[in-house]
Amino acid sequence: MRDGIEMARRDRAVAALVTDQFWPQGHFVAKSNGMPQVPRVRIPHPVAGTGHAAMANLAAAIAPRLIAVLRGESPGDQADPNDGQTVAV
Amino acid sequence: MTALLDAQDEAAALEYLHANDCTDGLPVVIPTPERVERMVLASGLDADIDLGPMGPGGGATTIAKIAANAVMAGCLPDYMPVVVAGINAILQPAFDLTEVQGTTHSIAPLMIVNGPMIAGCDIASGFGALGPGHRANASIGRAVRLCMMNIGGARPGTSDMALLGHPGKFSFCLAEDEASSPWEPLAASYGYAAEQSVVTIVGTEAPHSVVFVNDADDPDSPQRLLRALARVVANTGSNNAILRGGTVAIALNPEHAAVLGKAGLDRSDAQKRVAALATNPRGLVRSLNPGFGRDGDPDEELSSVDGPDNVVVFVAGGSGLYSAVFPSWAAGAHGNPVVHAPIETDQACVIPSRVE
Repeated sequence: MRDGIEMARRDRAVAALVTDQFWPQGHFVAKSNGMPQVPRVRIPHPVAGTGHAAMANLAAAIAPRLIAVLRGESPGDQADPNDGQTVAV
Repeated sequence: MTALLDAQDEAAALEYLHANDCTDGLPVVIPTPERVERMVLASGLDADIDLGPMGPGGGATTIAKIAANAVMAGCLPDYMPVVVAGINAILQPAFDLTEVQGTTHSIAPLMIVNGPMIAGCDIASGFGALGPGHRANASIGRAVRLCMMNIGGARPGTSDMALLGHPGKFSFCLAEDEASSPWEPLAASYGYAAEQSVVTIVGTEAPHSVVFVNDADDPDSPQRLLRALARVVANTGSNNAILRGGTVAIALNPEHAAVLGKAGLDRSDAQKRVAALATNPRGLVRSLNPGFGRDGDPDEELSSVDGPDNVVVFVAGGSGLYSAVFPSWAAGAHGNPVVHAPIETDQACVIPSRVE
């Protein structure tokens, strides 16, 4: 999330990948850095250690959404500013 | 700015603080304006002085806020300069506090105090110095932790992502046993004069016990002790052994420190020897965590620390068989270095309620 925020501050197209387990933390970091709406895409947890096939499947599944976010065609998954939970996926 | 809470009584105020995530889960002393003011006075600093933003939340670290948390932690006003020094230390960019607070690792800031404030605050360095029963140790470390939570915004599972944490995340403060040490105070290693009180902080795991029985008839005993310490530093479950970096701390009990001192080894010798001995074969590291080690000669010995300066050696604990190693996190932009800050006591003024 911090990398995404830094990129967004440089006016670069960004989409932060945030897993379920870290979704509230991602929102906390975005909010405390003054960029609560920085684009992000929510993905299942865990990703690390799930194996190449699972990661390839995940990449394939989220690629269209990622591209849409990076093109500015979608805001990505947004967090409720009050509790950090996803309100639209 | 610090908001004031109206409550019917202190019991109600305590429940409010618990309900609003302002505590560490244990009861706190209610930070009434009078108590906070006394704590500010003890700092000798203006209440609105801002030491900087504290991550991950970026809260303004004012003296008034530090004082409120010190009151909540149960500090005596005399402890306030130590708490402020601790905060000054962890706010140094090199400490990477935002990342320290947010990591899934169980790192916590281990505070080691040197100098006259050890006696001034009665900070324990001997038996059970990191355990219960020592007011200064418990409340100073707790004050720093409460600041990290209430000013920095670290909350478990939301902004403090430690998967398990460790009990040192409640409080993690002790003094060096300067009187028993065969060496100069730890803070002198960083250029401080002996009359200067100093807080040294290393972000570490909980202490790992190292058992060692000396044999005065065995000339190899001092080296055996260093090997025993190095094997725990190189514990392959610890980040520093796998990520290969960071700063580890070693608390030598006075008996073990004397073994090294009598052998003519100084602190620097111990640091160098432990750093040299704390290695693991590449093949072992890769067999346990293939993702954290480049392929290469499986018999090549990989160091578990960057070098001698990344082994902080101090004397603490009761005399006996056990010393302790505090493994490191070994991450963050600055690589988990040691930080330190002087304890400023020349700003102090008389606290009104204590005037005879």
